[in-house]
Amino acid sequence: MTANNPPAPHAAFEALLHPLLEPAYRTAYRLTGNSSDSEDLVQDAALLAWKGFGSFEPGTNFRAWFFRILANAFYSKYRKGRREGAAVALTDVPELYLWRRSADLGLADVLDDPAAALLARLDSDKVNAAIAALPEEYRMVAALYFIEDLSYQEIAEMLGVPIGTVRSRLHRARRQLQRALWSLAVEQGVVPGGNEEERTR
Amino acid sequence: MTDPMSCREAFDRLDDFLDRELSGEETLQVRAHLEECERCAREFHFEERVLDGVRARLRRIKVPGDLAERIGRAIRRESP
Repeated sequence: MTANNPPAPHAAFEALLHPLLEPAYRTAYRLTGNSSDSEDLVQDAALLAWKGFGSFEPGTNFRAWFFRILANAFYSKYRKGRREGAAVALTDVPELYLWRRSADLGLADVLDDPAAALLARLDSDKVNAAIAALPEEYRMVAALYFIEDLSYQEIAEMLGVPIGTVRSRLHRARRQLQRALWSLAVEQGVVPGGNEEERTR
Repeated sequence: MTDPMSCREAFDRLDDFLDRELSGEETLQVRAHLEECERCAREFHFEERVLDGVRARLRRIKVPGDLAERIGRAIRRESP
């Protein structure tokens, strides 16, 4: 190849894809909850993206384009008989759930950074599993949200849903996640257990 | 000059504030409230640190070292 020749298409594609593989894998891990399915999902998405690369418009957002393919690959492989958008009833979780539970134990008074103290002692795989256990539409938004620096608009583009849908799902997912993290903290002995539902009322 | 925010108004904007999704003006209003209200400031800080903590835990998920190579091989196999 001479200096004047354009790069081979797969080289151009791989140059765009390469920086996204780690965030894609971690996103897939949050969706599937295990490494084997995550690798398969990222590879499936990469091959689908490669086959459809001709339809990608240079200069537009490759990251949003690729993650949309990843999301669709996840849906087509793992969705079991439920249509997109079908609402799942979530039990309401009170606002500031972790803050209030921590305050009940007096952690906020004795620790400078009670949230960091709590989170630092939780097992990473189990934190990931708490996201993977969210109902599908909340899980997808949360999985994408924890990629660094994504705006709601970018997540909305990735999923092809209105920005308001991203906002409401994400806010509810966070509350669900807070309750799951507290349960995890109790389970791992980071905080003492007790009848938290009673105290919440 | 707009009216100062109440605790409830600030709290309703907590998630958007932490995600930098508020307009410039609303961001300033929330910041002004947090400077005046210690209780809200502690709650906002706690929520921010929860998100930071979750992100830090998730960054520890190990990505397979040969992922890029394996996917690169699969792509080249599919290349014309």
